[in-house]
Amino acid sequence: MDNNDVLLKVENLCQYFKMGPTMELKAVDNVSFEVHKGEVFGLVGESGCGKTTTGRSIIKLYDITSGNVYFEGQRICAGIRSYKDAVRAAKAEYRQEAGEVKKLIKEDRKNGVTEVRAEYSERLKNAEEKLHAVMVEQTANIKSAKFDDKYCNKQYAETQMQKVRENFEPQLAALNPESAEYKELEKQFKEELRLAKKDRIMNKMQMIFQDPIASLDPRMTVRDIIAEGLIIRGVRNKKYIDEQVYKMLDLVGLVPEHANRYPHEFSGGQRQRIGIARAIILNPDLIIADEPISALDVSIQAQVINLLNDLRNSLGLTIMFIAHDLSVVKYFSDKIGVMYFGKMVELATSDELFAHPLHPYTKSLLSAIPVPDPDYEKNRKRIVYNPIAEHDYSVDKPVMRDIGNGHLIYCNEAEFERYKAEINS
Amino acid sequence: MEEREVKLSVKNLKIGFKTDAGKVQAVRDISFDLYKGETLAIVGESGSGKSVTNRAVMGILAGNAIKDGGEIIYDGQDLMKIPEEQFHKLRGDKISMIFQDPMSSLNPIMRVGKQMTEAMLIKGKINQRESRRDFNTLMARLNKAMDEARGADDKTVCEENKRMSKDFDKFEYKHLELENAYNKAHDAATEMIVEIDDVLFRIEKNAFKDVRRDIREIARVAALAVEEYVVKERAEELNALLADLKKTVKVPLTHKCKNFVRQLLNRGEGAQVKGDENWEEISAKLKTVREILSEAADKTMPNFFAMGYFLTFATEPLPQMEVAELNKFLRKYLDDNFMLAFIALAKQGVLYSNAKSIENKKTALEVIESNIGAFRQQDLVKKEVIASAKTVIAAVENAIDNLEIIKDNVLYTFRSSLKAAVDLYFDGIKRNAAEEKRFAKQTAKAERKTARGKTLNYKVADKNLVDLELAKEEILDCITRAADDIKAHIEKNGSIDFDARVVDIIDYLKAKASGVVHKVTRRMAKTQALKLLDEVGIPEARKRYRQYPFEFSGGMRQRIVIAIALSANPDILICDEPTTALDVTIQSQILELINKVKVERSLSVIFITHDLGVVANMADRVAVMYAGKIVEIGTADDIFYSPAHPYTWALLASMPDLETKDKLEAIPGTPPNMIYPPKGDAFAARNKYALEIDFEEQPPMFQISDTHFAATWLLHPDAPKVDPPKAVTDRIARMKGLRKAEEAVEEKPAASKKSTAKKPATKKSAAEKPAANKKAPATAKKSTAEKSTAKKPAAKKTVKKDTDNG
Repeated sequence: MDNNDVLLKVENLCQYFKMGPTMELKAVDNVSFEVHKGEVFGLVGESGCGKTTTGRSIIKLYDITSGNVYFEGQRICAGIRSYKDAVRAAKAEYRQEAGEVKKLIKEDRKNGVTEVRAEYSERLKNAEEKLHAVMVEQTANIKSAKFDDKYCNKQYAETQMQKVRENFEPQLAALNPESAEYKELEKQFKEELRLAKKDRIMNKMQMIFQDPIASLDPRMTVRDIIAEGLIIRGVRNKKYIDEQVYKMLDLVGLVPEHANRYPHEFSGGQRQRIGIARAIILNPDLIIADEPISALDVSIQAQVINLLNDLRNSLGLTIMFIAHDLSVVKYFSDKIGVMYFGKMVELATSDELFAHPLHPYTKSLLSAIPVPDPDYEKNRKRIVYNPIAEHDYSVDKPVMRDIGNGHLIYCNEAEFERYKAEINS
Repeated sequence: MEEREVKLSVKNLKIGFKTDAGKVQAVRDISFDLYKGETLAIVGESGSGKSVTNRAVMGILAGNAIKDGGEIIYDGQDLMKIPEEQFHKLRGDKISMIFQDPMSSLNPIMRVGKQMTEAMLIKGKINQRESRRDFNTLMARLNKAMDEARGADDKTVCEENKRMSKDFDKFEYKHLELENAYNKAHDAATEMIVEIDDVLFRIEKNAFKDVRRDIREIARVAALAVEEYVVKERAEELNALLADLKKTVKVPLTHKCKNFVRQLLNRGEGAQVKGDENWEEISAKLKTVREILSEAADKTMPNFFAMGYFLTFATEPLPQMEVAELNKFLRKYLDDNFMLAFIALAKQGVLYSNAKSIENKKTALEVIESNIGAFRQQDLVKKEVIASAKTVIAAVENAIDNLEIIKDNVLYTFRSSLKAAVDLYFDGIKRNAAEEKRFAKQTAKAERKTARGKTLNYKVADKNLVDLELAKEEILDCITRAADDIKAHIEKNGSIDFDARVVDIIDYLKAKASGVVHKVTRRMAKTQALKLLDEVGIPEARKRYRQYPFEFSGGMRQRIVIAIALSANPDILICDEPTTALDVTIQSQILELINKVKVERSLSVIFITHDLGVVANMADRVAVMYAGKIVEIGTADDIFYSPAHPYTWALLASMPDLETKDKLEAIPGTPPNMIYPPKGDAFAARNKYALEIDFEEQPPMFQISDTHFAATWLLHPDAPKVDPPKAVTDRIARMKGLRKAEEAVEEKPAASKKSTAKKPATKKSAAEKPAANKKAPATAKKSTAEKSTAKKPAAKKTVKKDTDNG
């Protein structure tokens, strides 16, 4: 991992779901992390803690509420809640200020002063200006966020088209417009331009779903399922499509004869392989694997993990691995984020996290891993995590703090000191 | 090894499924025993037949299933042969099952509470009736034996016996009434102590909002603790305190209500709605309540059994004294007036009955000896066989001792198994003839077609014949098994502890009587359901009781399924991958729950899973299944510390643990198609250690130690020596190393003591059980070492490696 390029950057991601007229479910709340090129980022936590929602928000299956997601340096998701909140706060501040001033003026009137004092009008004017500045800034923010959220694909396509043009136009200019060579090149140029126009940044990011049965269309053959992405992307060359499909089948350990079958004819592990083949056919940079092995048998699990590992090495993939089986995550990931009730509570490299788990929730999670050793298992004590008993956040609110070694932990000042002492001892 | 009670025994079970493509052989000849209070884990890939086996035990096989043979013996019945009506009494009541997917095993349109109480209400009445019946039959049998023992002609003796039994009946019911009342109060007290602790904790943590409702609940339930032997002296004080608490603590209003009240009162933000209780005062009051309750909970329990007798028969009122003294007094009163005499009588009866049954057994042996000729002929004659079968069955059934509580399965199922075997033979003759006819007809047709120059697009199905020789052997087997069993009984006769047996009988009668008293009304079912919900760890049981399954999360749903399975108080609990769909924290909660319930109710559990980590946690014994066969079976220590079968190695190697860094050794390929099961070892095709013989012949079960068996040719004396994969040996070495290190750490403080005292000292810190477990692998290894000189090359290597590493 010498290449330290940030591939995916998530900033203050919030995903709220509406529940009834006033209630809101904070499925993901203020989560930030970075994924570097070529690494495997593991996301763990119990079911319902928002890890799947995080994955789905990143790949734009949901409209995020607030925060930003940058992929290859381009903003692909942006929420506007935080900006709106800022506007609201500014307005409230202005209203308060104006109210105070009005009160003062009223008192003046009572006392017989009819004129408005200069300092009051000054204060009012200042407040107004302040509000205006905030409004302008946040409106611009909202506008750009909305634009990026909606047109990120278009922007990407345009840059791609620009690249193609830059590549071909000098070559074309050098040639005689009448020659056969020119026509050949022009044809190629047009084809590439057409493809570039349909290129989407979201194609660089693919997802493998948890349930291999539910995520494959039962009425499509394996060939159709795998080729669908290519077809949507605008590839028309049937021979090329077939070639690619066979190549992908070969990569994931299936044979070309399987292409004409339907999903129900396969076993669970093979179905998951089809899902993986579908994900990698568009040559993605990032794969979001949402519990790809939890529905599989142990022996098949090992096959799928080995496959993902091989693909990662041969294709240079970056993988975001969402799972609840910690021993698998430990084996597979370079960096691990632990989530609890929509919040990221601990984030560290895999070895660091398992060597020095600091947050009590991580400890409880680690203590729950079953190990194939009867004696150890029979004496294993599970640590129970009770947030009310563990933390006292009534005064000092917790934030993410770096404890060194890239080990981030969600805590307040007092806890931070305690964790520091713990890690140093 | 101590002999344990076998709860369930599966013998040579074979099950197939009829499908369009042909017959799928899902389970091919498996046998295992399940002992009382143990967990047997069945491990294997999906499609290995583990679920099918357990569905057969539950009697819920799919409609296209074909029972090819075998026995499942439970409580003196063969579950493969009993009719559906009889199964109704067992299923859910004696044998319960927890399914993999909680959503599909709950009814989506019924409230959880109703689903929980439904079975209880239906079963309740039947249970009562059956308990009464069982009680009466055993009592009658005991009576009869007692009469006969003292000479049946003597009328007065008979009368006396009868009176005694009736008295027992009477005061036993009185005892239960008293005890139930006490238990209710005592439970209320102990539960509320825990609850009060919780509430006090939350008050300290300033989480007022949630507490008020709980305090009111405490006030309601704690009042139930007032009973003669629980809270008595301070009852008035407690009641006053509770009433006061109820008055001061008001239930908070919900959001909507708040708005409404605000409008009504037309006041500012939340005035009067927020609680303004004096929390210090309240917690002080709660502390006093706790003190009273814990004082009451610590009291010794009076002997209600004796008290029942006293209250029913004594003319004077119950003397007022301390509970311990009272117990002594009552016990003495009971013993003097009734119990000793009754026990003596019962013992006489039991002795007599046993002697009679031994006598009968001897005659039964003679009958078998004289009749066995009919089964030994070259071709069996139907009339002769059936006649002698009848006499043998009559003789054997006559030899059963009626007063045995633990039923002798071989003798009880003798009739059904012998009948099935005989039927198989004579039906087989008919079926074979028909099959021969069909085959001849179809081959003739096929030959005609080929003669005409057509190419056939089908194959003539092979003859599916019943092996008559095998069937005959089966009949003989059945009889010899019964004869052996009888002989064993006669031999064991000298060593029976009759006092213990009498106590067993009295305990059994008590249990049955409690079944009769335990009446299930709608309200009781509800309280029971709420209690169960609490027991399985569902908070706010009252609220949850009225919700629908979709309102629960996955873990909670699974808990409800467990609660429903436990509601009937079963003997055997079958868990079919109960935690596969859940995440680790919930998984370990559920496993802890099942373990807890298992210990509390001494359940036998069959646990199906493919996660070896879970197996290590749960199992006492492990059976590894592959392609419808058990390939390795042994204690958990055997399987994890000295695995012998390549499939077990592969499973262990393909699972990453926290230390794994190398590439995982996945098992290549997929399980075989069970429509055409391979001729040799089913795992051979995926096995890199496969020998040539593996492809040709199925390996038999080789015994490695008393408890450890494996079916692989690698254990054959002539087999080449093979090491398990490195990942497995490494892991075992690591586990052992870890334990060594732990022991070393523990030993350090005790180092000053003598070296002989070391071992017990280290083990004292752990519970007693692990200590016993730790011994087990050592003894197992010793026996393997003795046998392994020629027999067990693979396992020997492991042992050697371990010692090297250690």
